[in-house]
Amino acid sequence: MSTTAPMLLEDTKLEPKAGGFYRHQNFLTGLIVGILSGFVGWVVSLALLQGSNFGSDMVVTVTLTCWVIGFNAGMGTFNAIFRWILGHDQTHEDELYAAGVGQGWKRYWKYCTDHKVVGTQYLVLVMVLFGVGGTLAMMIRTQLLSPNSRFMSPETYNAIVSIHGMIMIIATIIMVSGPFANFIMPIMIGAKDMAFPRLNAMSFWVVVSAVPPILGSFFLGGVPAGWTTYAPLSVQAPPAMDAFAITICTFVVSVTVAGINTLVTVLTMRAKGMTMGRLPIFVWASIIAGGLGLYAMPAFLMAQSALITDRVVGTGFYVAEQGGTGWLYENTFWIMGHPEVYVILIPPVGALIEIASTFARKPVFGYKVMVAGISGIATLSIMVWAHHMFTTGWAPTLADPFMLTTELISIPTGIIFLCMVGTIWRGSIWTRLPMYFLYLFIFNFIIGGITGIYLSDVPADQYFHGNMFVTAHFHYTLLGGGLVGAMGAVCYWFPKVTSRMLNERIGKTAFWVVAIGIQITYMAQFYEGFQGMARRVANYNALFVDANRVSSVGAYILMAGMLIFMYAIIHSWRHGKKASANPWHAKSLEWMTLTPVPLENFLVDPVVTGPPYGYGEPDSKPVAPELPVPVSASSGGSH
Amino acid sequence: MSYEEKRDEIAEEVKPIVAHTMPFHKKAAAKIVYITIVFTIIGVLLALFLPTHMFPFSMSPEMHDAVLTFVVFTIAAAPVAALVYAIGAYSLIAWRKKGANNNEEPPEDGAPLHGSGLITSLWIGTSVVLVLFLLVWGMAELSAETAQQSNAIQVNVTGQQWMWTFSYPGTGVTTHNLILPEGRQIEFNVTSMDVTHGFWPVEMGVQIDANPNVIDHIAATTNRLGSFDVRCSQICGLYHAYMQTKGTVVTKAQFATWLASQGASSSSIQSYALSGK
Amino acid sequence: MSVTDQQMHDSQDDHGHHGHYEEGGNHHDTAQEKHRKEHMATWLFIFGDVVFFLLELFFWFYLRANNTAGMWRATNCTPANGKLGPTDEGLNTCTDGLFNPITHAIPKANPVYTIIVFALIATAAAFVWFAEVQSRKGATKKTTHPLTALALFFVLAAIAAQFYQFQVLPFTTIQGTYASTFEFYMGSNVAHFLLALVIVTGLWSRSRLGKFDNGKWYQLHLSRLFLVWVAASCVILGLVTIFFA
Repeated sequence: MSTTAPMLLEDTKLEPKAGGFYRHQNFLTGLIVGILSGFVGWVVSLALLQGSNFGSDMVVTVTLTCWVIGFNAGMGTFNAIFRWILGHDQTHEDELYAAGVGQGWKRYWKYCTDHKVVGTQYLVLVMVLFGVGGTLAMMIRTQLLSPNSRFMSPETYNAIVSIHGMIMIIATIIMVSGPFANFIMPIMIGAKDMAFPRLNAMSFWVVVSAVPPILGSFFLGGVPAGWTTYAPLSVQAPPAMDAFAITICTFVVSVTVAGINTLVTVLTMRAKGMTMGRLPIFVWASIIAGGLGLYAMPAFLMAQSALITDRVVGTGFYVAEQGGTGWLYENTFWIMGHPEVYVILIPPVGALIEIASTFARKPVFGYKVMVAGISGIATLSIMVWAHHMFTTGWAPTLADPFMLTTELISIPTGIIFLCMVGTIWRGSIWTRLPMYFLYLFIFNFIIGGITGIYLSDVPADQYFHGNMFVTAHFHYTLLGGGLVGAMGAVCYWFPKVTSRMLNERIGKTAFWVVAIGIQITYMAQFYEGFQGMARRVANYNALFVDANRVSSVGAYILMAGMLIFMYAIIHSWRHGKKASANPWHAKSLEWMTLTPVPLENFLVDPVVTGPPYGYGEPDSKPVAPELPVPVSASSGGSH
Repeated sequence: MSYEEKRDEIAEEVKPIVAHTMPFHKKAAAKIVYITIVFTIIGVLLALFLPTHMFPFSMSPEMHDAVLTFVVFTIAAAPVAALVYAIGAYSLIAWRKKGANNNEEPPEDGAPLHGSGLITSLWIGTSVVLVLFLLVWGMAELSAETAQQSNAIQVNVTGQQWMWTFSYPGTGVTTHNLILPEGRQIEFNVTSMDVTHGFWPVEMGVQIDANPNVIDHIAATTNRLGSFDVRCSQICGLYHAYMQTKGTVVTKAQFATWLASQGASSSSIQSYALSGK
Repeated sequence: MSVTDQQMHDSQDDHGHHGHYEEGGNHHDTAQEKHRKEHMATWLFIFGDVVFFLLELFFWFYLRANNTAGMWRATNCTPANGKLGPTDEGLNTCTDGLFNPITHAIPKANPVYTIIVFALIATAAAFVWFAEVQSRKGATKKTTHPLTALALFFVLAAIAAQFYQFQVLPFTTIQGTYASTFEFYMGSNVAHFLLALVIVTGLWSRSRLGKFDNGKWYQLHLSRLFLVWVAASCVILGLVTIFFA
């Protein structure tokens, strides 16, 4: 490095007033414009529509749509469109301002295009969403402590179950791709930002605008139909269902845009020498999940927009008397619903492979096979949806083909396990905190994956469908697998994102409490399933009380573990030991730049000469040999 | 150069090549196989003893099939799970290394293995065989279950928010508690009056959704006397949790008596009992 | 340099930089780099839109094949007999979404309006395409501006025509699934046309400012891709409603 410090863009001074009103837009203006728009929409639609046949649904739909549009207008989401139409293209100063230069902490509350800011915003949002969803879960488990509990009315319970499910689905879809495909992935490929920085900010703030409607559903009668909201119950449901549908339609926009952004970034902005064959597995995981989301989300939009029209203008898609059928909803929903769980799972798996390699000090086992496996899962996931419909009475002749495709998915899933255990085989296992989560994933996902195989057998599914066995299965996979992987990703990339080390003592305590809590909570739920307890029930037979009590105790333990983990994150973020640039001595590009990461990620363009897994080979070169490796205070160099 | 020096030089040169081409580390593999066998035995024992105690009383061959499938699939999956767990456990026992500088720095690198065509092929090949087995098992089971028996009797099931109604076509009998004769295949014709419900006679091991404006069918054979639960397995609104009732399997004679007590004429009972498609 | 800030950083300019850093962070994509990304993004967006479109077709054909309760177009319904509620075996009763009995088959929509709508949007797309071709040949705003103005006119006309068709429909959404799906298609057309309106307004405005002069055809190209997709989906949906009513 040169003796004079290179000029960092973030040190540039900017005039805040120079750019006009949009430089004053932030979360507060978003809230104000959103609430005002919602209010205006409410008053106008109430005046125009109240007497009509579908009045209250129409009013709720219009009000919440005005909220979404108003909030985003207030945030500045639409500014770029107007500027484009008017021909006022962004100046260089505009771009720097939009990237948060000169704004300090305030940039986290604004429409900021810097992918690192967006990644951090997503991380905080994800934690908030898990807090909300987790609180709802604890209310469910408290209710289920006794068979005839009156802690909640059945109406409230059904609403809580539904919103817990949907909030968790939103949270798990974005838990790794939001923070890390945004913050880390561009650095991993040697890019300066995402392909579309403004769309990146948009996908974040659109998710934020989607959250109030679904929380508002509690005040609109509650959603009685689970997160899957099958018709015709969802057509009959109170206006809470309209709020739910608005959340979905809004959220779909965010995921679609984020998927496009991820794909274009990786396909067009890799550093020189970074061929597709030298991409870290996490990047492959990000683009495959992004592409899969791009396929699946339009199906969700279709299912829910037809539901909105059924409720608000009286179409008959899902209403049998009008020529419709609930099966149409179910098919369309699950065409989204099954790929969607892989959109959830694939990014954490990608992160865990990076962790496996770094903490076993070994190259990834079977790089190409791993990429093929992840692609295989994504492709097959498109063809299995009706395994959620084995007991619906729809198309019994299709039971065998869907059983086949579903059972085939276990082959690429097996490949993932092969590569994970192959990477730790004869490794030099360095048991730091992130590695703990890899082992917990393996333990949990074997259980979750194998229990899925029972469900894929049609005759067995005729016992297990709609009972707590299914609930336990998907919690083992999504929470025990996906969320555990996300927690590992947080621990792994924490030093890069926050410039501090996560306190390992607290983190390991959290880990063990979570690990034990998961087993107790969900093993008890498998038992409930064997015994024959149905899902989504506010009260149950005395027969199931022991298993439910054990599960609730487990849930409290799990909650404690999650709270400890959240404490570890918050405490370390504020007071943790300062992190060096590469505390894990890892080999991929994100570790080859400074911490904190400069505005354009690298001070010199990286030129990549090999894959980022050069462990164990004495003559292996760093992934970008010409890049000046930041000298870190605590360690003696790059290796 | 002396003979020894030359030999040592060649040995040094060959070491990395050997390490690359022989990822098979014999001692570790043997230990892992041993651990795998132990775990598999545990898994098989659990599979053989636990499910039969955890599932409810089986009252039909369909339920029995579901339990049997669970046991068989668990036994088939046990070696896979065992192997993965064994490698994971072994890695923490034998390959765990403390890093330098009080674990702040990483330990020395592990072996530079990039993959193994042989292991990958074996792994994928085994997966394919297992999947084929699962599929054949499932298809055989499903076709056996859906085979129509000639003496099946019809029971109409109507779900509504939030109760079940059963009727016996031709006899004029309607009830809210499902009474069935023993030793017959029962074909349930299921529909709903409002939203989608899930008709689930639990111990009979079958279920099917009740959808409005359609009638769908599921069959189960009663092979045991006793009572069973009928629950709703698809969330259907406010009192979904309470949408349950009891069923009872009685002898054929008791069934005929019961039908008569509900007002069915003896001729209709006769033709009902003999009916079957 | 004596050029203005705006001109220097205009997104269409090629600075001659080829993607490397400079001190002070003056890196910009070249116009080609920017176009490559935007082109890919346009196709990916269209892909998602195609998935939605295929599901719309799925809805049409599935509901038509199912014909639950005879209510695709109520062609099998018995005359009004006043019965409400779920169908019983053997009886066909038809009611609309507000439980009014249906006494006649639902008429088909007049195909003329469907054709007018998709002809108008296709014309708009054609004008955008023509503008792109001219821009590629180096035309100035004297050519591109009137062409984009015509495209804008036809998009507005398509929207107006679609609303008019809605007004003159011989059925309402509550009258069975043919009616429901037909109106859903009209709604999705309007959504597409509104997106097209925003884009074509931008093209009209920017062409007036000379942004597409001298061979700067990139944004016209991307807009053309989207407009052609909008027109194609409108045509296909329209033909389905005409031939598979």
